[in-house]
Order: sequence, then structure tokens, then C-alpha cells
Amino acid sequence: MEFVFGQLSGFGAAFIALVSDPLTYAYLVVSVFLGITFGALPGLTATLAVTILTGFFGNKIPLDYSLIALLGAYVGAIYGGSYPSILLNIPGTAASAATAMDGYPLAKAGRGGEALGLTTTASFIGTLIGTFALLIFVWVLLLISKNIASPEKALLALFGILLSGTLMSEDLVIKGWIAGLIGLAMAMVGLDPLLSEPRYTFGWSYILSGFQVVPVLMGAFAIPQVIDGMRHMPPAQAMALKGRVLPNLKTVRKYLPTISRSGVIGTGVGALPGVGEDVAGWVSYGVGKSVSKDGAKFGKGSLEGLLSSETANNACIGGALIPLLVLGIPGSPPAAALMGAFKINNVIPGPTIDPDIILRVVAIMVLASFTMFIMGLFTARIFIKILHIPQTVFLPVVLVLTTIGSFSVGGGINDLYLMLAVGCVAYFMNMLKYPIAPLVIGVILGGLFDETFRRSLLISNGDLSVFASRPVAAMLLVLNVTLILSQFPVIKRTFVRLKKGTA
Amino acid sequence: MDSDNDRAILRARDFWGALVLMSLSLFFLWRTGDIPLFGGNRAGVRSADWYNSAAIVPLGIFSALLVLSTVMMTVAIRAGGAKTALTGLGIGWNRLEAIRFATLAMIMFFYIAGLVPRVDFILASGLLITALTFGYHGGYAARMILAAVAMALCGTYALAANLPQSEWGAWDDDSLTACVWTALTIWVGLNSRGDKVLRAVPIIAVVAPTMLVCAMAFGFRQNVPNRGGILFKQIEYHYYVTLKPVWGN
Repeated sequence: MEFVFGQLSGFGAAFIALVSDPLTYAYLVVSVFLGITFGALPGLTATLAVTILTGFFGNKIPLDYSLIALLGAYVGAIYGGSYPSILLNIPGTAASAATAMDGYPLAKAGRGGEALGLTTTASFIGTLIGTFALLIFVWVLLLISKNIASPEKALLALFGILLSGTLMSEDLVIKGWIAGLIGLAMAMVGLDPLLSEPRYTFGWSYILSGFQVVPVLMGAFAIPQVIDGMRHMPPAQAMALKGRVLPNLKTVRKYLPTISRSGVIGTGVGALPGVGEDVAGWVSYGVGKSVSKDGAKFGKGSLEGLLSSETANNACIGGALIPLLVLGIPGSPPAAALMGAFKINNVIPGPTIDPDIILRVVAIMVLASFTMFIMGLFTARIFIKILHIPQTVFLPVVLVLTTIGSFSVGGGINDLYLMLAVGCVAYFMNMLKYPIAPLVIGVILGGLFDETFRRSLLISNGDLSVFASRPVAAMLLVLNVTLILSQFPVIKRTFVRLKKGTA
Repeated sequence: MDSDNDRAILRARDFWGALVLMSLSLFFLWRTGDIPLFGGNRAGVRSADWYNSAAIVPLGIFSALLVLSTVMMTVAIRAGGAKTALTGLGIGWNRLEAIRFATLAMIMFFYIAGLVPRVDFILASGLLITALTFGYHGGYAARMILAAVAMALCGTYALAANLPQSEWGAWDDDSLTACVWTALTIWVGLNSRGDKVLRAVPIIAVVAPTMLVCAMAFGFRQNVPNRGGILFKQIEYHYYVTLKPVWGN
């Protein structure tokens, strides 16, 4: 208990410091507004919001303001995705795909205002649950992670890439793994971290320092979005917003158990390396459907279904920051973009991170969720107007934004060529249903994997048992092997047969 | 997956995808041979053992990629992807989609490789926004081609006339881009009667890049592409010489 109070007092100090700075509010309001706008516009994603703002705010302002801008946009964008889900039946972001299942039927039934109000409240509570978990668990894990050495780090990085590849694949799991391997391969370009041996540079001095994170992020997330979105779409017909947006306290109290359960699920899913808010939304929706007395009403305009997914996707944000801050492994694709921002600010997330940064992140998350809550309740009608802007108008501006953002981080035209090349590869990968998130996570974790894997072998004089002789390493090795084996058709079939036999 | 037809197209594309991945894996495995694996000798200094070699991780990655792409190829062949790989169905050919993609690729290439380094950022981006919105808003192939031609004209001239970095500051390509942008804007104006979106294009095309470049250069004090561009040079001059002293004093 003393530990919790200690944490809360540390958080209080960071919170007061932020609240007493007037600039905090300027950055918060602008970033949360931009985030909700990005989330609300179908075709733009939370990852893209964080990526583009990384280009603008990443290393140009003090780290605190930069974190306010990026976390504000992250929280806002995940919430903003609910607008088109409820009013257009088109998820604004992948994270709010499950929201459309019940949100749209509610709007059709003339309860759009109520749905939006409850979504806003659930997203707010969800973010706070995730943030509380971040405050408590990040410290427990940080204490444990001090004992994590190179073998564990290498296996954990590999696990993050594999898990992300497994869960993010829309088609075959193998495609997710291939995407992760392509990311890892891209991270091998440049001087190697231990011996400074040039790898795959083809005599081009620009890539001696490896691929820069921001152009890769911009290329992977923005360019395919622009290429795919620049097509004629019939104007979307949003449902009229009926009823008041301000939620009824009684209703909120009634659904508090659902909100709490979904918050915990969202945080848990977020804490898994490389798994995003969309998975959190669907898992929570699925659990809600199976445990709820009114599970049969899910998909037909159930408030419980709506709250299950919306709470979880916002709670996932806090969860996704846990592996990022403790281990330097992003918990979701937007967290990967956030990691890019940390990197260009020379902050290395992981066991050696400055504890004050974590407390400030928590304080920023709380402030961002309050800002989102107030904006969501009182300016909802402005965001509904944004839904009518066609993609062919805002995507060209997004291309200009990514170009200038990418250029200004590195300050060179080569970054733009890299962005374009990565964008083309990512577009074709999207077309062939290869997930992009594992690629980006591979690029970000590739350096860490390479360095820690080889350091482990160096310490053990090439003895591979170093990856199994330490308890945590052995556990991680088993997890990696199990994850790979579980996808083998023979093993899958055996499990199905065993399941049938037991039944 | 929407239907069996979509799955058949996807497996045929997977066949090609696996082929490309296998070729790339083999190429990079061959290139990995250049990195010393078993204690190579560089300028008289013996490098590390195999387990610490810079080649060990890439070797593992590209070998794994080769194995997985072979599995992918097997899956595609078993699903009939190889049989349909060269047919219209397998390639998933769609004329309008091909025009859309080709023109977009042209526009992006000429914008990034030709215009951004050489032409004033406001002019290049204004032309880009006008071309993209006009070209793709209605889904007409003729407009897409016109938009791509406008970008290609300016981009090709910039590349041909001012290719080396020492000539990136020249203003002849800026002038051409300004003329093409004006002409395209007039064309859009003539063809946008009754279309609110297209009528707003000139305003967005001027305001968005101007605001962005000014925010980046004067707000965040960051480098912006082509500082010596015909418009930005004037803006920068007046910012520091005319405007800044006003609040500086």
C-alpha cells in the first residue's frame, strides 16, 4: 500500500507541474482536437496521427510538450474513431471496428446522441483505467526488468515481432511473420551496432547510419493510406444526431461493471507486445458477448456491446505504454510511432529510463483523457461536421504534411526518397494482405534484437544454451517456440481433435 | 475475404509475392557473404568469431525469409495460384484501377524526386493538392491523366534543367510550376461548376502549404525544403527584415 501511495504522490507532483504550466493547455487542446479529427476521418488512423505529429513535434520542442502533443493525439484519435462507426457505420480507425456493430444500430434507432455520450464517458474511464495500470505495473515491472539481461531482451524482441505478426494478420499468419522479418531485415542496413561493419549499404553513405525511423513510419503508414484513399467515394450519409450527448449518470452507473471489465481486458491486451487497440476492442466485445446476460442483443444496438469495445480500445493505450516504457517494446502500432519520437529525442525506453518521464507520461495521459472527455461532450457536433469532408480533399494535405514532417526530422531529401520507397513496399504489402504493423515493429526492434542476440552469444562464447539456462530466458524461449508451433497445421489439427475428444 | 474469387486473386498474387520474396532472400543471402562470418581479416585486424559476426543475424533473417516464402509459394500453388498467376483473374487487372495507380505513382514520384528538392515548396505542394483533388475527386480517368501530365511536365523539367544539387536554387522551374498550377487552377474553376469541393481547392492549395512551411520554418525553426524558392525566399526575407523587428523592438 505504501508503494501505491508513493506512486500516487509522485504522480501528483508531476500532475501539478503540468497543470501550472499554461502552455500545457495549448498543446493539449490542439493535439486532442487533431487526434479526434484524425480518428473521425475514415482513411486516417491513430497511428498516422501519432506518426505525422512525430514529424512536427518529435524533436522540435521540449520533450514534455512533445509527449503532450503525441499522447493527446493518440488518446483523441482512438476515441475519435467512434464517430464514423456510430454515425456512418464506417470505422474511423481499426480500433473502433467493433464499435460500429452496436453503435450504428443505436444511431439508426434515434439514440445516436446517447451512444456518443456513453462512448465518450467509457473512453474516458477506459483511458484512466489503463493509465492507473501503467502507473502501478510499470514500476513493478521496472524492478523486475533490472534483472533482464541480453538473452531475455533478444527473446522478448523476437516475441513482440512474432506475436504482432500472429495477431495482426488478416489472411495467413505466415504473412505477419514475413512482414516482421522484412522489418528486421530493414533494421540490418547500415553499420552494425557492435563491430561497425557496414551491411547492405551499396556504397551509399546516407544509409550507413541505418534507416531513419520517422521516414520509415511515414512511408509505412501514410503513403499506402494516400494511394488507397485517392479514389472516388460517394458522399457519406451520416445519421442525424438525435438526443442529448451528455450521458445519464444512472445509465453510466448501470454499465460500470461492463466498463470496468472492458478496461481491464483492454489494458491486458495492450500490455502484450505489438498487439493493438483493434484486437483489444474485439477481444473485449467477444468476452462481453459471452458473459453478458444480454449477449444475444450484441450487434443489434446493445449499449453493453458498444461500451465493451469502446472502453477496451482506450484502456489499451495505457497498457500499450507498459512494454514500451519498461522494455522498449511497443505495445501497439501507435506506440511504435511514439517510440520513434522517444528515439529522435535520444530517450531510450527500457529499464534505464528516467522514472520522472514515466510519471510525466501518466500525468499527461490523465490530462489528455480529461480534455478528450470535455471536447467529446461539448464539441461533438463540430466533429460530426468533419465526417463530411471527402478523402480526396484531406489526403493530399496529409501527403504534404508527411513530406515536410519527414524532411524536417532528418533535414535531408534522402529521407523523402526512403519514405517513398517504404511507402510503395507497404502499399503492395497491404494489397497482398501483409500487415504493416509487424514490419514497423521489426524495424524498431531490429537493432535491439541484433545487439542483444550477439552480445548474449559473445558472453557465452557462442554457447546457444545461454537462451535457455536463465529462468526468464527459458520461459521466453518456450513462449516463442510455442507461438510458432501453435500455427503449424499438424499441431492445430491435433488440438482440434483433442478438443473434440474431450467434448 | 469477400468471396472465393477474391481468394483466388489473392493466392495468385501470393504466388508472385512469394517469388519476389524468394529472389530477394537469395540476393541478400549472397550479399551477406561479403560480411566476414568466420573471423575475417580487415586491414590487418582480425574480426570476431562467428557468433559475434555482423553476418550472423542477417543470415538467420534471410534464411528464415527464404523458408517462409517457400512455404508461402507452396500455399499459393496448392490453392491454384500458380495456374491463374498469368491470367487476367490472377493479376486482378482492372483498367481504371491501373490508370489510378500509375498516375498516382507518377504524381508522387515527380513531386518527391523532382519538385520538392528544386521548386519552391508552396508552389510544388499547391500544384500537388490541386492535381490530386481535381484528378481523383470524381473518379474520371481523363482527369487523373491530366493531373499526372501537369505534375510530370513540371517534374521532368525540374529534373532535366536543374538535376545537380548545385542548381536546385534556380528559379526557372519555379516559374514553370507557377504557370502550370495557375493553368490547372483555371481549368478546375471552369470544370467545377456546382461542385463545392472543387471550388474550395484553390484556397486549400494556397493556405495549407503556406501555413505548414511557415509554421515549420518560423514556429519550430526547422529546415524546410528549398529555402531559396521563389516565394519562400521573399516570405523569409520579410519575416526577418520587415516583421520581426516590429515585435523585436
